[in-house]
Formats: sequence, structure tokens, C-alpha cells
Amino acid sequence: MMVGLINAIPVANKDEYKNVGVYIEHRGDEIKRSSLEMIGIGKQLARKINEKLLCVVIGDKVDGIAKEVGEYGCDIVLAAESPDLAEYRTMPYAQIIGDYIAEYKPNIFLLAATRNGRDLASRIAVKERTGITADCTVLDVDENRTLLANRPTYGESTLAEILCRNHRPQMATARPGTFTPAEKEKDHKYEIVKKKVNVDKNMLKKQIIKFIPKKATDLTAAKIVVAGGLGLGGPDGFKLLQDLADLIGGAVGSSRPPVDLGWITRDHQVGQTGQAVRPDLYVAVGISGKPQHVAGMKFSKVIISINKDPNAEINKISDYIIVEDYRKAVPALIDAIKNFGKQKVAEAQKA
Amino acid sequence: MIKQVPDSSEVEIDPVKMTLNRTKARNVVNAADLNALEYALRIKDKVGANITVISMGPPMADAAIIECMARGADRGILITDRAFAGADTYPTGLTLAATITKLGNVDIVFGGDETTDSSTGHVGPGVAEFLGFDQITYAKEVDYEDGYVIATRDLEDGDEIVKVPTPVVITVLLNSNIPRHQSLRKKIDAIRKGVESWGINELGLKPEWVGLRGSPTIVRSMKAIKEPEHLHKTVTLDKIDDIVADLVSKNIIKVGGK
Ligand SMILES: Cc1cc2nc3c(=O)[nH]c(=O)nc-3n(C[C@H](O)[C@H](O)[C@H](O)COP(=O)(O)OP(=O)(O)OC[C@H]3O[C@@H](n4cnc5c(N)ncnc54)[C@H](O)[C@@H]3O)c2cc1C
Ligand SMILES: Cc1cc2nc3c(=O)[nH]c(=O)nc-3n(C[C@H](O)[C@H](O)[C@H](O)COP(=O)(O)OP(=O)(O)OC[C@H]3O[C@@H](n4cnc5c(N)ncnc54)[C@H](O)[C@@H]3O)c2cc1C
Repeated sequence: MMVGLINAIPVANKDEYKNVGVYIEHRGDEIKRSSLEMIGIGKQLARKINEKLLCVVIGDKVDGIAKEVGEYGCDIVLAAESPDLAEYRTMPYAQIIGDYIAEYKPNIFLLAATRNGRDLASRIAVKERTGITADCTVLDVDENRTLLANRPTYGESTLAEILCRNHRPQMATARPGTFTPAEKEKDHKYEIVKKKVNVDKNMLKKQIIKFIPKKATDLTAAKIVVAGGLGLGGPDGFKLLQDLADLIGGAVGSSRPPVDLGWITRDHQVGQTGQAVRPDLYVAVGISGKPQHVAGMKFSKVIISINKDPNAEINKISDYIIVEDYRKAVPALIDAIKNFGKQKVAEAQKA
Repeated sequence: MIKQVPDSSEVEIDPVKMTLNRTKARNVVNAADLNALEYALRIKDKVGANITVISMGPPMADAAIIECMARGADRGILITDRAFAGADTYPTGLTLAATITKLGNVDIVFGGDETTDSSTGHVGPGVAEFLGFDQITYAKEVDYEDGYVIATRDLEDGDEIVKVPTPVVITVLLNSNIPRHQSLRKKIDAIRKGVESWGINELGLKPEWVGLRGSPTIVRSMKAIKEPEHLHKTVTLDKIDDIVADLVSKNIIKVGGK
């Protein structure tokens, strides 16, 4: 353990390392959206330097998922199967991925920065004695096959470019919701390399007693977010926001105080300690625009602010500013959207 | 494991350079680390335990350790040495793991899920791998019974309840409990007791293994992120159609809604 690893990190022979590897997360038979995003960016990097995309799939019965991963454009699917791997556990999963890395020597290895992705990522980096960049939003590869891993820092104001010069693989996790998910490619040729593994019982000491699914509000996938803040004055305000969101196909978000007050559950929180979103439209209702909130939404394309205060900080990054009590402004917006449609239809019928 | 960080509620954004102005911010214990300490203290209250707080950082980080002792930790060790400066998560994990190994007989290593400054969340699992311990990350309820930790992991799509025999590394979710206050009496005791200071020699580490030299990653550049431009148009309710028209023309919403 300790003593063996301590002996500094050996510098890798870079020429031995080739191709781009991606870890695929799934629950049951469903590939996580964030992993489809990783296939998307992994494929892009691999094709840029004419290398292959390798994907690692681990589980109890993985044939279905392995096939699907191939259809999404992966070249070699590495599938590890055992009844002991039905549930995600850090120790055996890290071991299996580490073994694959040692055998296939990918030049780059990526994971989605989900909670279980982060649970694994640095453990694998230490196991393989290499560096890792966390939560990247921009990933590229240069002509020397160096991974250019960029992560936002300092409240999202700065992009730090981080390199792993002498160690391989070059590892990174990527922030969910940032990269475009891969789409299935017709007639893509791929190979599945399957192995049945015997899991060391020592790695199965963690008992998973229960998994209680919760309705996950994945705001990062939403094209429209309608978010409410302390200015809503109570949980009922969110019902009005839900009406607006339902009308335009959006998801409901929140600043932190309503979450802390129990008006809405934490999975709706946007910001530094919540989710970071970049939708096409962000409607901020009764939100002042404090830096910790703005950090999670300032890359939204169009921002509408509904706020009683004409000087609210959020207005500085808004496209449309409605200075009104939200109880008047939100219904007005809902009506306008409904009637705007009717008007157009009527016009079209007339013509 | 605790880290001293600038208070993020006080960090100001420099409007010209678009960087954080940390100089004005007070240094505090990373918030999630206080949640981690609270769970450690609850285990101590329940079955008795000896809690040692360790932090790698500059000499001024001893204030953060004293604060934790004032909340009930028994011993504080500051891991400080010029050689540790500039560490990425790999040597940070290595140095903390070496400290834990030297302490010996550690059943549970507690840390935060991530820090509010560089927030990689990579240190806890890294330490676990160096030590060969199992790990429980994003824990929001933590209990201990007869050599086992029972904890709830907060995942995106559900809560996972796990039971793991010690030794184990646990990273605790921010805001998952309410940390108890400092006690004045304990604070006086802590100052009297003082914080021990360990450097590279005490830990048996070599300079090329730690700090900047032992870091596989380097920060090559920092660029200000270009943010989207915005219209800044104030719209009265009688003109609200203008907004709708713009959104429809940009294909963001459909006529008549979804
Ligand atoms: C470490 C740390 C992490 C944090 N992380 C986050 C985070 O992830 N996300 C987050 O959001 N915050 C976070 N915060 C909190 C953040 O600092 C702010 O306190 C929070 O964003 C403010 O929320 P708000 O805008 O809803 O409330 P306020 O700042 O109180 O603003 C309420 C707004 O509502 C307006 N208003 C009031 N009544 C009405 C009405 N009837 N109609 C219309 N407008 C009305 C007011 O004019 C005001 O602008 C964090 C803080 C810390 C210290
Ligand atoms: C802008 C910037 C970006 C960076 N990006 C990366 C990167 O992508 N990859 C990388 O390898 N390094 C990176 N670093 C370096 C990283 O900040 C350091 O390695 C740091 O020592 C630990 O990282 P963290 O704050 O992210 O810890 P986290 O992993 O977020 O901390 C989790 C927990 O570990 C414990 N802990 C962390 N640090 C200490 C400590 N010094 N003493 C005691 N306990 C501690 C605490 O319990 C803490 O709550 C970056 C640094 C900067 C300034």
C-alpha cells in the first residue's frame, strides 16, 4: 500500500500510450446522460488525432450497454462482468479500471464529474500514478497529443488550463451538462472485448444496504430554467414558476435561500454550491444576483430578470429586465406567451 | 483533515480583472470540514474517540486548527514545510496519507466533500487510495456501531445507504449537519496545548515527492472567461410581447408555448 506508492511517480514513456479512454456510468440498463457527453467529447478528441475511442463498461449484465456504447461511436468497448459488480462500489471498480489502463495504456482517460465519477477519478489517478484535472468545461488535444484540460476557477471568472506533462494517462473529469451528448452513428464498426472477472472478496466489504431513488432534477440538461429566489416570499411562488416552466418546456430552479428554508428541494439549487447551468433561457424571479448564484447561471444565453428592485445586481447580466412584483409579472408573461400564439394563428388563418 | 480557505462570502470579484480579490477575505475553516468534524464529534460523544485534526498549509493555518480544537478535537497537527508549497491533489493526498500513517491506529479519516477554493473533491479519495482504505464520499448521515460506519451517500439520482467496516475515509457533504459552537474553555485549553508542527523530515518524505515538484499537473495559463453579452433592456408589462417575439424568433420558445 502506502510504502510502495510513495516512491515518487515514475515518468511515463509517452510513446507507449495511445487512444482515448472513457468510463461509462449507468444505472441498470440506462447509460447516464453525462456519460453520453463523455463519449461525445472523447470521440471528438480521438478523431482529431486519428486515435481510437475506448470505453469501459462495468456491471453484472453489460451486453446491452456495451452494444449501445458501440453504436454511439466507441471503437473498442471494454466490458467487465460479474454478479458482484451489479452495484457500484469504489474498490472493485477502481481496480478494474486501473487494470484496463495498465493493459491498454490510453493516452487520455476521461470520466464525468458526477458524484460517483468523482468518487472514482482521483482514486484511479493515484493508483495509476498520474495527474488529473477536475471539472473541465473545455477539453482539447494538441498536435503532440497533449490534453489541454481547462477548468473554471475563482467563481467561474477564469479558465485555468492544466497540463499533465510527464505522466500517463492524462486524466480529467468533465462537468456534466457541458459537452454535447454523442448521437448514434449508423454502421459504425466497433469491437466488444468482454471479460468475466472474479472480484476479490476483500473489495466487497462495503455493503449497499439500500438505494432510495429520488426524483432527480437534472437542471444541466434543461434548455430553459425558470428560477425563483427569496423574493418569492414562500413555497407557493414556485407553483406559479412551475406553470411558466410547464408552458415553455423548462425546469424550475432556485437560489439557495428557498432551499435552506425548505420551500423547494436542494436538487433545484443553482449556483456555486448547487448546479451550474447554461440554458438558452434563464428566468430569474425574485433573485438578487449574488456572486454565488451568478456563478451557476451566468453562461445562460438569454436572461430575463423579474425583480421589484431596479438596481438588483442580476440586472447587470440580464437581457430583459422587468421591474415589477413577480405576482403580476409572471402571469403577464404566461398570458403573453399563450396569446402570442393565438394571435399568430389568427393572423395565419386570416391570410 | 481540514483546509484553511478564504471566506467565500467575503471574496470580492475584481470588476476590471474579473478575478477574485482574496486579500480582503478572512481565512476560515473550509465549511464542509466543519460538517465532517461535527460527525467525528458525534461519534466521540457516542462511543468515545480521540480526534486529531490535521491540516497541510502555511503557518497561519494553525488558527483553523485551534478553531477545531475549540469545537472539541483533542489534538492538532499542522503539516507545514516550504517543500509542500504548490502541491496539486496527488502530493496533497500523499502528504496527508503519510501523516495519517505516522499517527497510527486511525479508524476513520474524515474530510469535506470539497473545498470552496479549488473544489476538486479529489483529496479524500486520493488519501484513501494511498492508505488502501475503503471510502464513503458525499456522506450526509454518518453513524458508527461496533466497528462499522453506516452512512448515507447523497447521489444525483438517489440516496445510497452503506455499511463499511473501519478503517475508512469519509468525505462529508457540505451543510449536512449543524456544527456545534466553539467553547471558550476549550479554546483556552487549545491555545495552551498548542498545535504541533510536522515537516517533511518528520513524515519521512522526500522533497521531490511533494509540493510543486511532486505534482504531475501544472497550471499553464489562466484566462478571463468571456461572458455572453446581454441587452440590458428594461421592459414594462405592456411591452412584454417584445420579449416573447424575441424568444420565438431565436427559437427558444415555441408559439403558444411548448
Ligand atoms: C459558501 C456559500 C455558497 C453559496 N452558494 C450559493 C448557491 O449555490 N446558490 C445561491 O443561489 N446562493 C448561494 N449562496 C448564497 C448567496 O450568497 C445569496 O445569499 C443568495 O444567492 C441570495 O438569494 P436570493 O437572490 O434568492 O435572495 P436575496 O438576495 O434576498 O434577493 C431577493 C430578491 O428578491 C427581490 N424581491 C423581493 N420581493 C419581490 C417580489 N414580490 N417580486 C419580485 N422581486 C422581489 C428583491 O428585490 C431581491 O433582489 C452561497 C453563500 C455562501 C456563503
Ligand atoms: C485554480 C486552481 C485549480 C486547481 N486545479 C487542480 C486540478 O484540476 N487538479 C489537481 O490535482 N490540483 C488542482 N489544484 C491544486 C489543488 O488546489 C491543491 O491540490 C489543494 O491542495 C487541494 O485541492 P482542493 O482544495 O481542491 O481539495 P478538495 O479535494 O476539494 O478537498 C476535499 C477535502 O480534503 C481535505 N483537504 C484538502 N486539502 C487539504 C489540506 N491542504 N490539508 C488538510 N486537508 C485537506 C479537506 O477535508 C477538504 O474538505 C488547483 C489549484 C488552483 C489554485
